[in-house]
Amino acid sequence: MGNSIWVKMHGGTTHFPIALVMASVVFDLAGVIVPDSADRSRQAGFRAAGYYTLLLAALGSIGAVVSGLMISRGQLWGRGNLAHHHTFLWPAFGMVVALAGWRLVVGSRASHGAFKIYLAASVLTGGLMAAAGYWGGELMLNG
Amino acid sequence: MRIEIKGAFIGITAAACLLAGTFSLAQMLQYPRAGDSNATSPAQASPPQAAAALSEEGQKGHNLFDHNCAHCHGDDARGDEGPNLYNLRKSDARITAIVKGGIKGEMPSFAKKFNDGDIQALIAYLRTLKE
Repeated sequence: MGNSIWVKMHGGTTHFPIALVMASVVFDLAGVIVPDSADRSRQAGFRAAGYYTLLLAALGSIGAVVSGLMISRGQLWGRGNLAHHHTFLWPAFGMVVALAGWRLVVGSRASHGAFKIYLAASVLTGGLMAAAGYWGGELMLNG
Repeated sequence: MRIEIKGAFIGITAAACLLAGTFSLAQMLQYPRAGDSNATSPAQASPPQAAAALSEEGQKGHNLFDHNCAHCHGDDARGDEGPNLYNLRKSDARITAIVKGGIKGEMPSFAKKFNDGDIQALIAYLRTLKE
């Protein structure tokens, strides 16, 4: 399989985890901030949306990382913009998988305090994802 | 064990396992592929010119190449995703145009990143790549 197919796959797959992590953060924040409905289903709905978007982000990140490694032929760090990309990518990848694992185990049984810590970590993960995406774009557009 | 702590333990373990798997995959990909004409051993991958042998401008060009071009053209400039840059027969003007304008779908433009002096230094380095 030629390298160009991996470039296309990376371009196609890499946007899913970035967008889905952001969406998950927004849904989870909405689940805390937005006033609940009378039947208490509104906040639960937002949290469920945050849960599933995070799981999809974690799954999508695996495809994005594998295709990226195929492009760089296994470079874990590199130089210049590639190094900047990886500086944010590896922590973001680890965080999104860890958060998804936590969420899978805990589900809706998290205490308020634990969920606040989770929210702070997911906001940080969203920032890391955005930074990794920014430097990935710089790499593609400006080398 | 509180469910949150159990979840954190499992989440961190899953992340560590996936990162370990990813880094192992990366190690495997770093070995040259059989039949890859561009494949080189680590010993061959070192730059062809000793740093001391390069002019000041060539050294600057080498540094620019290292940080901006090597991840596509290879650490030794013998090609990877991008082509081998040894024995280039293109004129300085043509190289300048390619570096500034890029090649659609293949190579990004470096017009915003490199000034004319940078490109001259890069060309000075590329001219040292001869066999």
